[in-house]
Parts: sequence; structure tokens; C-alpha cells
Amino acid sequence: MVSKIMEVKNLQVGINHDNRDVAIVNGISFHLNKGETLGIVGESGCGKSMTSLSLMGLLPPGVRWQDGDIQVDKLQFKNFKNKDWRKVRGKKISMIFQEPMSSLNPVYTVGDQIMEMVLNHENVSKKLARVRALEMLHLVGIPRPNQVLDEYPHQLSGGMRQRIMIAIALSCNPEILIADEPTTALDVTIQAQILELMKKIQNQLHMSIVLITHDLGVVAEMCDRVVVMYAGEIVEVAQIVNLFDSPKHPYTQGLLKSLPDINVQKEYLSSIPGVVPAPGNMPIGCRFAPRCPMAHERCKEAPPLLTTSDGSEVQCWLYDDGAEKEEIR
Amino acid sequence: MLAYVIRRLLHTILVVFVISLIIFFSVRLTGDPVSVMFSAGEPSKEAIAELRSNLGLDKPLAIQYGIFLKGLLTLDFGESFRSGMPVGTLIFERLWATIALALGGIFVAILIAFPVGILSAVKRGTGVDFFGRIFSLIGISFPNFWLGIMLILVFSVQLQWLPSSGFESIKHLILPSITLGMILSGILARLVRSSMLEVLNQQYISTAKSKGISEWSVIIKHGFRNALLPTVTFLGMQFGSLLGGTVIVEQVFSWPGIGRLIIDAINQRDYPVIQGGVIFLAIIMVVVNLLVDLSYSLIDPRIKAGRGSQ
Repeated sequence: MVSKIMEVKNLQVGINHDNRDVAIVNGISFHLNKGETLGIVGESGCGKSMTSLSLMGLLPPGVRWQDGDIQVDKLQFKNFKNKDWRKVRGKKISMIFQEPMSSLNPVYTVGDQIMEMVLNHENVSKKLARVRALEMLHLVGIPRPNQVLDEYPHQLSGGMRQRIMIAIALSCNPEILIADEPTTALDVTIQAQILELMKKIQNQLHMSIVLITHDLGVVAEMCDRVVVMYAGEIVEVAQIVNLFDSPKHPYTQGLLKSLPDINVQKEYLSSIPGVVPAPGNMPIGCRFAPRCPMAHERCKEAPPLLTTSDGSEVQCWLYDDGAEKEEIR
Repeated sequence: MLAYVIRRLLHTILVVFVISLIIFFSVRLTGDPVSVMFSAGEPSKEAIAELRSNLGLDKPLAIQYGIFLKGLLTLDFGESFRSGMPVGTLIFERLWATIALALGGIFVAILIAFPVGILSAVKRGTGVDFFGRIFSLIGISFPNFWLGIMLILVFSVQLQWLPSSGFESIKHLILPSITLGMILSGILARLVRSSMLEVLNQQYISTAKSKGISEWSVIIKHGFRNALLPTVTFLGMQFGSLLGGTVIVEQVFSWPGIGRLIIDAINQRDYPVIQGGVIFLAIIMVVVNLLVDLSYSLIDPRIKAGRGSQ
């Protein structure tokens, strides 16, 4: 039986501009099951990075948690003080970032940076922490780990550094790993290796992964379920099979159409016209309507999140009445 | 590493040679030393001629320069026209006082500027930052002779806590160090603030935060350590120029330093002391620069001394 490890309820995150709250993430709700990989996809500027940062309490200066709650086990993050967050970060939830080249501190050795995490969360001696660091390097498949332990980040390649980041993130056995575009900055072959590694370790350690990406190829490779975000809102939540076989929301359909298909020769890839609207300047009603090929009268009113017959949730009037319209594609 | 140090020291010889040329000839543009050496009455022609030949000033310029260079090679700077003391002795007598003052000034500057700069950067845009920046501005725009006089007025004259002049004990060092340090800390605090701001935006700061370590650990261990590089460069250069450039503060506090030695020598057209003093400061400057460059590789492992360091 699957059980939820994390539940995000009506999360609203944003900035305060001219004394009014401008939401960047506008009241989103989703959950993460134990042991699953949940993808969060969407174009740049749709709020997926802000969502992932709020899970760690690491919102940038000026961006505030405005409403909603996140629940992990019995913990409710809403009223967390800095002290509470510090116990969660690295211990319950860990994070790896997009830029492995700049994610490691250039003036400390690899070993120091892994040991810092271990010493911070666990009551162990330096010696034991070093042993743990070495184990972690083994786990993430670093060649000659004994030497690498005493090397500096600049002596390692991008792929190696991302492995080190994973080693740091997982050194205290977190239940959840948040990976924000972990492979975007890497070569394609290295990408595949890192994804493979994440999958392998996930099986070993039974952790859950939130994978933020704009790469649908990565999603297909890694995810069990997918949350599609657009303009700070969730427009579709679907099992991976359903997402690729029968995408519901016109935005999701647009994203999939813009992927190249090896069986079809096309001179141009199709794209979704227009750009994501800026926070504070959102269209009234459905936020995708101005770019939507299927927009109609009703879209002036904001649609609710509807459940379709195959279990996907979609925020679009086309699926009202519960009837799934397969032919819409 | 060793090869690098040797190469740099060879550079030093070239630098010293060029400076010796410049200082030797420019000093001779200041006027005739003999004319200021007779205190009373009109000297006789014979007396002048005799003095000139005693001082070696009757020889052709090229020969004089040759003698000067030869002395340099044996670390002999000649004797003072005035006192007849060896210039080397004069400099070394005052060296300790000068170094103590420079170190004292830098120490005070670090003590003030590091906390102010770091706090300003961390609390960017708040009241703390505002006061930090005002402080920097005041530090930069204070005339240091005025600050020195004010300190003497308050702490020496009114409160009688600290001595106002000379250098006989550590106590004498306090007021001049504060005077120097205050001025320096204005610039230094700005530098620390701006390099901290740059570092705090780096991705590895987010990584450090995501480990759940304390905020100050993130700021000092991960932030400040990386912001140190430009600061050390600046302090090294300042140390060099403080050795010779603290003349005003030395005057105010009657500090027996090299700066005052050279100023007095210029007033008296005491060629050997001017030449020796300037050459000596140049050598110290070059050596300090070398030490600063070598310290980079300690601070930042990406920099290897001598292998195309930036």
C-alpha cells in the first residue's frame, strides 16, 4: 500500500510589491508517495524552482511564504523557525542543484564538505564522519575515492561534482531528495549516468525523489507521476503512462507536441505560441487561455482541478462533466 | 614553487636598479646640499669646495652613481651628510617603529572593518547596512591629522590615559594605530562588503544552507573564507605603502619612523639618506607583494603559485 510521505496544501509563495501580495506560486497542492519519483515540469518561470525551494525553507530574500502548509510525517513547515528548518535540511530532506560546477565550495576538500553534513546532523567523531564520507563516495561510484576525499572540487569534472553533490545530499540518509534540474548542465552521456545513479540509490535507500525539470525525456526515464505547472499553478497531475499516452491539458499537449518524434519527419518543431505571463500580470480566469488553441467563453472563469476517468487531475473546463474527450487531441 | 620565488626575487633586482636610477637623479634636482649646510654667515669659496670634495659631490655624476651602485651591491647605503652616521644604521633604528605602526594600523582596521563589512553585506538594505556604509564614508573622508589631534586631545590631554608622542612602549602605539586604522577601515569595510555580497550570491552558499548548518557557519566558513582573497591583496598593498606613507601620522605623534626620516632628509638635501630610504622601502614593497602572492595559494586551492595565477 502506498503511503504519503509529504503533502503540500494550498502553498502560496510570492513577493510583496507595492503593499500587495504577488504570488509566484499560487496555491498549489500535491503529495509525494513513499519511494516514488515525482516529476515537476513546466517552462522557465512557471514557479517550479520556487516550489522546490519552499520545500527546504530556502526562499530567496524578498520572497515570502504567503499561505498554505507543507507536511512531512508529523511536521508542519508553516510555522517553522530557522532552528526547525535546520533540523530538516539535509536530515529529512536534501537537495541537489542545477550547476554542479558552482555548487561545491572551491576552498574546501570534497571530504570536508561531506563530513560537514554528517557532523552537523549526527553525533559522531571526525574519524567516523570520514569513514562515512568514504562510503558515500563508493556509493555514488567515484573512482579512487581515497584520493578524491582530499581533493578540491576544481580537480573534478562536472559529472563527478554532481556525484559528490549527491553524496553530500544523501550522507545523512534523508527520506526525500529534491533534485532541481540535476542534469541540465551536463553532457548527454553524463546525464544518463547521473540519472541511472539516482535510480540505483533510490532503490537501495528507499527514498522519495522530487525531480524538477523541463526535460520531458528525463521525466519519461525517471518519474512515476508528474505534476505539470504553468504560471504558478498546477494544470495537470498524471501517472507517467497517462501523461505520455493521453495528455489532458492543452498545455501538456503542447509541451509533448514540441518534442521531436523519431518516426515523423518534420522541418520545424511545433511550439506553444506566446510566453508565460509575469507574476502580477496574470490573465483573469484560466491562465493558459491566451495561449490556448482551445480557449472558449468559459475560460474567462478559473477552472477547478478535475479528476478524469483514468485518474489524471486536470485544471481545464474541457474535462467538466467528468466525460473524457479523447478526440480533443 | 621555489623556482617561482627565485624568479620573483630576480625581478626585484631589476626593480631596485630602475628605482636607483630614478631616485639618484631626481634627488639631485632638489638643489645643492652644500648651500643648506652652513648655518651662519657667508662661507668662503674654499670651505665650500672642501665640503664638496669631502662629500664626493665634486666627482662627475656618472662616477657618483657608480659609487652609489657599488655600495648597494654590498648593502652599504653610504653615510648621512648631516650626522655622518651610516644610512643603514639610521634606517634600521627606525624600522621597528615603522613596522609596529603599520601592523598596528592594519590590526585596528581589520578589527573594525571585518565585522562592519560582513554585517553590512549580510543585512544588506537594512539599517545595519546603512550605518555600516555611513561609517565607511566617514572613515574614508576623515583627514587623519585631524583625527590624530582629536584623539590626543581626548585621551592624552583630557583623560591622560595614553601618551601622545614618541615610541617607548606598547601604550604609545595605541593612538597612532587607531588614527591609521580608522582611515584604512573605511576603505576596507567597503571592500569586505562588496566581496561578501558577491560570494553570498554563489550557488555553494545555497548548498551550505541546504545542509542545515547554522547561519553564521554559512556566512563565515563558506562566505567569508571565499571573500578573503581581494581583502588580502588590498591589505598587502596597504602594508607596503604604510611603511613609507604614514608621514602625517608620524608628524602628529612624533613617531620615530622611516617616513619622517626621509622627509627630514629631503628638507636637508641629505642625498644618501633619501636614496637609501627609498631603495629600502622599494625592496620591502616588492617582498611584501611576493608574500601576498604566495599567500593566495593558501587561501584558494585553485591558485598554484607560479602556474599562471590570476
